[in-house]
Amino acid sequence: MSAAAAPVPARSSALRRLVSGYGQELIILAAIVALMIVVGLYNPRFMSQSNLTSIFAGNAYIAVAAIGMSMVIISGNIDVAVGSLIGVLAVLSGTLAVGGYPIWVAWAAPVVVGILVNAGVGALVAYARIPSIVVTLGMLSILKGGLISVTAGAWITGLPEGYAIAQARLFGVPAPVWFMVVLTIAAAWWMRNSGFGRTIYAIGGNPEAARASGIRIERSIVAVFAIHGFFVGIAAVLFATQLQVIQSTVPPNLELTVITASVVGGVSILGGTGTVIGSTLAAILFAAIGSSLIFLNVSAYWLRAVQGLLILATVLADMARRHRIR
Amino acid sequence: MLKKTLAFALGLGLMSGAAYAQSAWTGGDDLPTNPLACDGTPAAVASKPYDGGSPTNAPDRKGKPLNVVDVPKLIGIGYFNATSKGIADAAAELGNVTAKTDGPTQANIDQQISFIDNYITSGVDGILFAANDPVAIAPVLKKALAAGINVVGYDANSQPDARQWFVNQAEFNGIAKAMIDSLAKESGEDASFAIVTSTFTTPNQARWIAEMGAYAAKCHPNLKWLETVEAQEDNVLSFNQATTLINKYGDELKGILGMTSVATPASAEAVTQAGKCGSIAVVGLATPNAMKPYVEKDCVKSVVLWNPVDLGYAAMYVLRAVADGTLEPGATSVKAGKLGELQVINGSEILLGAPFVFTKENIGNFDF
Amino acid sequence: MTAALRPFLRHEAILFVLLVAALFVLAGQSDRFFTIANLLNQGRLMTEIGLVALAMTFVIVTGGIDLSVGSILGLCAILLGVFWQNLGLPLPLAMGLAVLVGGVAGLVNGLIITRFRVPPLIATLATLALYRGLAEGISQARSVRGYPDWFFVLGQGDLAGVPTQLWILGLLTLVAGVVLGMTAFGRATYAIGANETAARFSGVPVDRVKIAIYTASGLVAGLAAVIFVSRVSTTRSDMGTGVELDVITAVVLGGTSIFGGRGTIIGTAIGLVLIQALKNGLALAGVKGDGTIVVIGLVLILAILASNLFSREDG
Repeated sequence: MSAAAAPVPARSSALRRLVSGYGQELIILAAIVALMIVVGLYNPRFMSQSNLTSIFAGNAYIAVAAIGMSMVIISGNIDVAVGSLIGVLAVLSGTLAVGGYPIWVAWAAPVVVGILVNAGVGALVAYARIPSIVVTLGMLSILKGGLISVTAGAWITGLPEGYAIAQARLFGVPAPVWFMVVLTIAAAWWMRNSGFGRTIYAIGGNPEAARASGIRIERSIVAVFAIHGFFVGIAAVLFATQLQVIQSTVPPNLELTVITASVVGGVSILGGTGTVIGSTLAAILFAAIGSSLIFLNVSAYWLRAVQGLLILATVLADMARRHRIR
Repeated sequence: MLKKTLAFALGLGLMSGAAYAQSAWTGGDDLPTNPLACDGTPAAVASKPYDGGSPTNAPDRKGKPLNVVDVPKLIGIGYFNATSKGIADAAAELGNVTAKTDGPTQANIDQQISFIDNYITSGVDGILFAANDPVAIAPVLKKALAAGINVVGYDANSQPDARQWFVNQAEFNGIAKAMIDSLAKESGEDASFAIVTSTFTTPNQARWIAEMGAYAAKCHPNLKWLETVEAQEDNVLSFNQATTLINKYGDELKGILGMTSVATPASAEAVTQAGKCGSIAVVGLATPNAMKPYVEKDCVKSVVLWNPVDLGYAAMYVLRAVADGTLEPGATSVKAGKLGELQVINGSEILLGAPFVFTKENIGNFDF
Repeated sequence: MTAALRPFLRHEAILFVLLVAALFVLAGQSDRFFTIANLLNQGRLMTEIGLVALAMTFVIVTGGIDLSVGSILGLCAILLGVFWQNLGLPLPLAMGLAVLVGGVAGLVNGLIITRFRVPPLIATLATLALYRGLAEGISQARSVRGYPDWFFVLGQGDLAGVPTQLWILGLLTLVAGVVLGMTAFGRATYAIGANETAARFSGVPVDRVKIAIYTASGLVAGLAAVIFVSRVSTTRSDMGTGVELDVITAVVLGGTSIFGGRGTIIGTAIGLVLIQALKNGLALAGVKGDGTIVVIGLVLILAILASNLFSREDG
């Protein structure tokens, strides 16, 4: 059973229900707000529109990828190849764009290919019974090596006019922020209210019980990975269209960033619990931390140590909260 | 008890870390600096005897076909694609050389050592390298020399006795002068600026930052350094870091120095997207193709770089000359194909030339 | 051997056949591959990964994981240099302290995992960032160089014609094999991985065993750091970046189940040798580095796939 859907005693107040259902999300939200206030007081420019825009828009692709990652982790699996896949799909998108294909093809192809590749991964996990960490460790190598073999490291430049969707704005808000917000809300609603959403929680929480209740686990796992591929494809397009050039190497450590966002966002690595809202908030928190350390003049040499401490503190706070609720 | 002792030891370690001698600017190394004269008068060069190594029992390779491997710091970035192209061009021109480029996908000392080790075993005639760390790479290069392989470095040096010759793209203090002079000219003598680099452990970048600090103190004392940020060799991270700097300092920030061919175009993009073209100068090391859009839009006025294609080309010619025995210890110059005569400096280094400043007028003539 | 291990040894057998086949093919591709000198040299290059993989086998058998090993390696390497050069300690003492710091780092992992009940993946993901950050902050991006000559015997020298560090790897492989396969501690390790709750009820000191294992993981990472510094003659704060994925690949290829409860040191050793043979042999056969990465990824997936197919026919 998921924490979000756990039965709450009838006498609980609405607030209490919110806290027990979305405790981790609220902690992270509070952390974001507190950080913004503290750093904003220290240096008001932190709260300027342009800085908030760059925190949200510049890292939205991580949040979008973390939505899919959260679903995969909730289903009791993991994907360590996500960074490599984003790199490959971004290059695919850019290659199509400069190759004279219509721009919508350059946007759609990564999504389609992402779905297909990850459905294949899901099939190996579900039908061939290879643990997902093994399949995706293998995929990590294959995609990373394959990308360099094919591109020889050449950057993609000369992208056509109108391709840079990540630089577009709607009502003054950058497109990546729209993608992040709309996809997060849609995915959260769907995870909570659709039959398939509950299936994902069920197979992550207790696969045997799920099987006994008539869920076809193999097909569901393939579907979860395929859906994850959809989000990875969108993340790749956002990643590819941020700048005027596309680097044809895999972004270093991107998989760790995405996984960290998911798990710090409250998705249990053991499967069965968590929400995609938490992972998106965690992605925003990390982006805000990265930016605020520069604003607070933390010595660049100690920056990563402080980041590590903050992640650890978030995790420990969450564990303390869970023990108290139990 | 044990725990306490160890915590104490760890604490000591932390304190000693803070006690390091600090270079003036974050990201610079602590080696002695040697800033050039402000007006560009060349420094008097003390001649130095050959201090490179030599291969043991190398077979006579004069005029014979050579099998050469090039192991750069990493593969997959524009800069080393360009050096690799220069090496391939020179090999094709020479006719009797087969050259291939192979290396790690991340600038990683361990992997680079393994690559070189494997090529020693496979029995190549010559190795070209750009070192991720001058000391760490030394043992494996010495092993190559001991196996009779000709070893020539380019771009990033090793300890001198671990290789025969090093093709120096431009001296550190020369790069530093070109960067700081361009910055002062474009953003004003009293401008505040920040630096975007790859990592603080990358030797070349650390050397340039230290030399820039020394040269600025000597010749442009009113320039104000704000801070240095790390951005790996990562496009998007470089862009985000540069954007954060722009947001943090607002109108105070007048210039950004990009220390890598990745950081400079990403910084230019950040300035463009922030609508700050003209009010924030971007000066940096970069390859012309990546910078053309910004230079043509007048957002970037000067790009400092040597020609990496020429660098690879020269390295290949030097290796051929060493194998043929035409370049020997004590020589003062070497012929490098279309580049003509190149000078020997510092005992066992070959200087490609002064750094080149690309501007709107000449950038269209380069394609790499 | 217990019945629980039997189906599992089948994987080692398959892997061994695969290794022999790979050695034959690679030897056929280049006459420089199957020489004593090359094989010993490859042993030298894989020692650091190998040491960490031994402890990682225990960690994964308990159903855990330790992603922080690469960062511990970097931290210990930096501290070795700091203890020796900046604090002026004698080098042997600095070496010992560096290894101990690795142990402390591992102990901290173990405490976070057992006392706070943080899942190992999350705990070590956080300390991966923290330890690497400490290494960067302490070093201030400075390298420590200029070690005395005797120190290089460890990483660059030979003992009776065999690279010094290979003796250490061999000895510790033996120790790890005995501990995991033949002692009460090893049985406790398997029991935790198979069913932690059941192990707790049957009196296994679960937390103490786990803390011991994570501490050991940190200790060997510290030892690997000392050997690594000796091999490359310098310290840098980015040492060991990404080592965790190489180590996990070797352990998993060796047949240790990521869900815990199954795995052997022999399997890990074969997995290690297979990967190193592929890296080296393919390079000698003229395959470039990027191609080699692809082959290793394929081998990992196919080996586990084959092993799954065989064991399903079995049961």
